[in-house]
Amino acid sequence: MPVRIVVPVKAVPDLVEEIELTPDETDIDREFLKFVLNEWDAQALEEALLVKDATGAEVVVVGLHEDPDIDQALYTAIAKGADSAVKISGGEGSTRTSDRAAVFAGYLSAEPADLVLTGVQAADDLDGQLPPMLAAHLGLPHVSVVVGVQANGNAVTIRQEFAGGRSHELEVSLPAVVGVQAARQAPRYAPISRIRQAMQAGGLREVDASPGTTGPSLTVRRMYRPEAAGHAEMLTGNADEVAAKIADLLRGRGLMKG
Amino acid sequence: MLADKLVAAGIPVTRVVFQDIGPVGKAIFYAAATVSIAVFCWGMWLRIRKYRRGRPAGRWPTVRQALAGRSRAGSAGGIGRPDTATIGTLASNKTIGRGDRALGIAHFFIFWGFIVAFAATVILTIDVDIVRNLSRLIVGHEDSFFHGPFFLVYTFTVDTMGFAFLLSLIYMALRRGVRRPWRLGYARAHQPEAGYSRKRLVAGDWVFLGLLLAILVTAYLLTGLRILTQGMPWFTLFTPFGRLVAEMFAAFGMSPAGAVTAHTIMWWIHASLALTFVAYIPFSKAMHMLLDMANLLATDRGTTPNLPAPVPAQGQAGYQQLSDFTWKELLDLDACTKCGRCHEVCPARTAGAPLSPRDLILDLRQWADASSGGHTLLDREQRPDRTGPLAVGAGTRIAGDVVAERTLWSCTTCMHCVEVCPVGIEHVPTIVQLRRSLVDEGTMDPTLQTALQNLATQGNSFGKSARMRARWVKGLDFQIPDARKEPVKYLWFVGDFASFDDRLQENSRALARILTAGGVDFGLLYDGERNAGNDVRRVGEEGLFEMLAEHNIETLREAQFEEIFTTDPHSLNTLRNEYPERGASYKVWHYTELLAHLLETGAIQVRPLGYKVTYHDPCYLARYNGVTEAPRRVLRALGCELVEMPRNGVNTFCCGAGGGRIWMDDSYLAERPSENRIAEAAALNVSQFIVACPKDVTMYSDAAKTTGHDGTLAVRDITLLVAEAMAHPAEPLAAQVTA
Repeated sequence: MPVRIVVPVKAVPDLVEEIELTPDETDIDREFLKFVLNEWDAQALEEALLVKDATGAEVVVVGLHEDPDIDQALYTAIAKGADSAVKISGGEGSTRTSDRAAVFAGYLSAEPADLVLTGVQAADDLDGQLPPMLAAHLGLPHVSVVVGVQANGNAVTIRQEFAGGRSHELEVSLPAVVGVQAARQAPRYAPISRIRQAMQAGGLREVDASPGTTGPSLTVRRMYRPEAAGHAEMLTGNADEVAAKIADLLRGRGLMKG
Repeated sequence: MLADKLVAAGIPVTRVVFQDIGPVGKAIFYAAATVSIAVFCWGMWLRIRKYRRGRPAGRWPTVRQALAGRSRAGSAGGIGRPDTATIGTLASNKTIGRGDRALGIAHFFIFWGFIVAFAATVILTIDVDIVRNLSRLIVGHEDSFFHGPFFLVYTFTVDTMGFAFLLSLIYMALRRGVRRPWRLGYARAHQPEAGYSRKRLVAGDWVFLGLLLAILVTAYLLTGLRILTQGMPWFTLFTPFGRLVAEMFAAFGMSPAGAVTAHTIMWWIHASLALTFVAYIPFSKAMHMLLDMANLLATDRGTTPNLPAPVPAQGQAGYQQLSDFTWKELLDLDACTKCGRCHEVCPARTAGAPLSPRDLILDLRQWADASSGGHTLLDREQRPDRTGPLAVGAGTRIAGDVVAERTLWSCTTCMHCVEVCPVGIEHVPTIVQLRRSLVDEGTMDPTLQTALQNLATQGNSFGKSARMRARWVKGLDFQIPDARKEPVKYLWFVGDFASFDDRLQENSRALARILTAGGVDFGLLYDGERNAGNDVRRVGEEGLFEMLAEHNIETLREAQFEEIFTTDPHSLNTLRNEYPERGASYKVWHYTELLAHLLETGAIQVRPLGYKVTYHDPCYLARYNGVTEAPRRVLRALGCELVEMPRNGVNTFCCGAGGGRIWMDDSYLAERPSENRIAEAAALNVSQFIVACPKDVTMYSDAAKTTGHDGTLAVRDITLLVAEAMAHPAEPLAAQVTA
């Protein structure tokens, strides 16, 4: 039975903002952006809270000190029901996933977890590298693209999702690292008054973690603005004509038979 | 002179109290009366004890003012519609006659008839039990004032008022039993799975009405018999209807001697009925006679435009137990007479949603009653599965179990229930308090949750970047001043919809052009503006409302302006009524008020349009803030013929978007309120449906499409009419100078 669940989280730019590149075009300009909790981390937190609801496990949310607006995300997690939140410093503020994994691993070596639940990916880590890297650092088993975690004795039963709606169930012995794609239910709402209460109570624990060793990593040479790929084609005509055109399109792409 | 005549006639001008009852009978009567009054007092104490469990409501100043005959002006100020009632409101029964004159008159005579009957009994008690006994003790012989001219005035008043009382009761019984107005039907809006029965509610109504009728009928039979036993002396003509009954008995051949026994029997029947009734009052619908007077004196409709704060307890938001309600809210529950006015006008109920304000109040009443001991004999609903109001005990959620979640979420906070309630029940604040519980536990529509999260991160419900708020000004060929940087006369608080909705941005630009052409000095807060929080607050997300309000108030403080105007009636409401106590007290106008002023002063020149239009009053403008004339003045100035919908002004019908409903799923409704409204307008044979609220443009454009009226009924913001009328040069001044 997991008694201590750690949820490493990340603040990412709110994608509704107009994102601009830095003058040297190797990164996005983060200065005036609003940061929000990575949506997959919100799913991981929800799944952790569901396990807590079922078993009474302790849920600790962990963020990096250098992430902008991370306090807001951590207090929100407390308002939702996390037992405590930790802010790790010592990571030099690198946004590279490998560096972040090393910092989280450093913290987890000092304060080990029975179960690590984190977002399978992030808007700026679509490869989903954090969970496997973290597992590698800690030498723990790892499962990603998970859509359900249920406590099951000294192991967890995990539902992993594949393309085309297929999924399978695994049993993973603890401790383990899990990359969550989606929680069993939509992330719960944290009322602002509860977030404010959490803020007033303070209670973010600052921890200095010495990062583990990082392997070789990549350097960004240049970033590109997204290019408009194709344009929408408006179908005109009456309902029957439009329906016929849609059917033709679907047939043409092999999505419909007959 | 009259008195002289009477004395000369040698007949004692009075009637014998306790005629032929005897000392034993008298003793029995006094014992029964004591029991009856004791039961009444005990029942009232049970109720008062329940209200005392409630939180303070801060209404004693309201009650004192009402008793002094002073009402408090409406929240909007200077709109002539007071927020509170007075003792005069009670005396005139004004609220009951509203919309149904005959009913008002009938109730007026029942109300005053009862008071006269009660006063008559008190007078008799003073004479028989106090004056006669005291005089025997003090001066040695029995003295009485119950004779002569006093008796004549007394008997004439009681007899005629009693007869009006009786006729009114008969009218009420016919209305309820034969005419059966739809709104007196008790079918629930929310259907419990295992069914329900409200037969006992109906029984309670009839027992109340029946008891009163029986008491009155026996009173006249008794009076008739008594006059007969007296031998019908001439002064009994001062008891005209009693005398009439006596004449009838005589016509049927009853002799004065024969009337004696009948009189004694009738006396006991009448006395038993009256004493039963007194004891029955606190346990039945009859309690409304006392409680509704108290409720009206304490009522304050201002609590809907300016909602009360949440329960100030730690670690809790919203209502979870009886003691979370204020005493006024608990009194509200008992005050309901099931008149059904709110049930009839409620847009949620009309749309087929599981909410009826009447049912909500009755459910909460039954639950409150049961959880504090259970005092109502008949007036309660029965359910085989003991759900809803019957669910009592630990773990019962008021919001969720007693009142279903969807029922609470169905409220559009249109305030029509509060508006029409004749007894001063404040439904909306109670609904919001219960919604606060739901928000606190995170139980809500996913779409609402997304909207609230967007509001928390970016300050608008559209989920767009806060920096994009004033992007709509880009289509203008002039600059609107930034009120944070330069002083302006008016600050335009634009609101979310007029800022972010693609379909509405052109309206905002049109208004900017009109105001500029009219020489109005105005500016914006640009990206400093956030959603004003009106609907956030009504959803029950108090913390988020506070956060938005704090941000806006800080921005307003940094800006330089004299007065505010808004495009959005919802923003107007919270800015006008809820921001002042949070530190932002400004004069707040609606843009239609500004337009009316510009048109009437000639600051903008228009040609008459000559359209035949109808106008939809936004709830938050008309009912909440009393602004009904300004848009009509604009239409007049534009030379439009206004054809009113049956539901207009403060009786307007909601579009269905208020109270956060615009962020929630409405697919479960049988007919959207907006569609119901478009159908109302379509029957008028007008070409344009004019609105004065950005949300209305989207709500009614959609409804016109889904009902197939979009080809014949154009939904337009009043701004566009003004813009159209200005687009053509005005007639030369000389041509207008006639007569």
